[in-house]
Amino acid sequence: MKRNVFLVFLFMMSLTFFAQEQKMSASEIAVFKATVEKETKTIKSLKTDFIQYKHLDFLSKDIETSGKMYFKQPNLLNWQYTKPYQYSIVFKNNKVYINDQGNKSTVDAKSKMFEKINKLIVGSVSGNMFDDKEFSIAYFKNKDSYIAKLTPKTATIKKYINQVDLYFPMNDATVSQVKLIEPSGDFTRIVFKNKQLNVKVDDSFFTN
Amino acid sequence: MTRFLLISVLSILFFSCKSYQIANAVKKEVPVSDYKNPYFSNPEIDYVYKAHIEVYGNQLSGLFIAKRINDTLHRVVFTTDFGNKLLDFELSEKELKVNYIMEDLDRKMIVNTLRDDFRLLLKTNHKVQEVFENEEYVIYKLADAKRFNYFYESKKDNQLIKLVNASKRKEKVIFEFESKNSTFAKYITIQHKNIKLKIELNQISN
Repeated sequence: MKRNVFLVFLFMMSLTFFAQEQKMSASEIAVFKATVEKETKTIKSLKTDFIQYKHLDFLSKDIETSGKMYFKQPNLLNWQYTKPYQYSIVFKNNKVYINDQGNKSTVDAKSKMFEKINKLIVGSVSGNMFDDKEFSIAYFKNKDSYIAKLTPKTATIKKYINQVDLYFPMNDATVSQVKLIEPSGDFTRIVFKNKQLNVKVDDSFFTN
Repeated sequence: MTRFLLISVLSILFFSCKSYQIANAVKKEVPVSDYKNPYFSNPEIDYVYKAHIEVYGNQLSGLFIAKRINDTLHRVVFTTDFGNKLLDFELSEKELKVNYIMEDLDRKMIVNTLRDDFRLLLKTNHKVQEVFENEEYVIYKLADAKRFNYFYESKKDNQLIKLVNASKRKEKVIFEFESKNSTFAKYITIQHKNIKLKIELNQISN
């Protein structure tokens, strides 16, 4: 009996060990940042599927929405939901074009808010966020990913976001998962799949 | 000229004094004490809707999420399509707890309007004052502060089709429901008559 308890204990220990995140060392961080920055510089275009999970503590299940995202240098972005409804938002020439199930509208994106959203989305996917004056960053790793945890420095962002976690798989220098944690603890987790870098993305993908 | 003005003023007064009336309805003498709005009543269900809001020509889009927490309490959250919260309310008959509201929305008029709309939309049990009926509907009338609520239940399939919030004279807010079965509304509109506000909710399966 004692032995069984011990085994269970050991098993649980190993589980926590595997799940645990460790802080990265200074030299690991330097290598990691250099790799990501180098990779980011080569990104001319990006095409990916995504699944978004909205977690609210009081719900019994996360709300799942999914779609496609297209990005082209220097600042063309289309974030497109296809399930369970059609909704796309295109950032182009300082304007935001929204197509909400055929209902079209345009918003001037000169506002600081949209600028920040744009930067956050592009930065999240490409991983190009390390020089940002908006966030302080801590680096962790678990058994299959490097994790950059960004904490906002400015009061404006702190109101909306407590922390942004970016997951970089060990064999990939771009982001595979973003977790945006709100001050309440509720969060949005976005998982990227079928990511393609530097494939031809036609300009027509950025008309809404 | 004065006379003309007087006549117009009087006629405006006369026409606007007409009280809110239900077409061809007669009062039923059956005593019914409670009306149960079934659409947000099941505490097991996460009610998730895609929301469109049209307010004074501006369009807003996002997700409307509601859950019945206990007999008298509902939680209601409105987020953008990206998932970030715009508002997070806990609503009971008398209380409102604002867990979160985005700064731009934090105006007394907005909070009060949404509070009243959501409270009426979500509240499950209502005390009935009078019951009417016409060819299509059984109508339950309830007193609500200085106003009245009229729940229109279709005679054909016992579904709640319409909910009218009215003053003594005029319709103020109209809620319309489309549902596949009598317990879950798949499409809801909330139309305000005295301000330019329309909320549309489309159920998304979760």
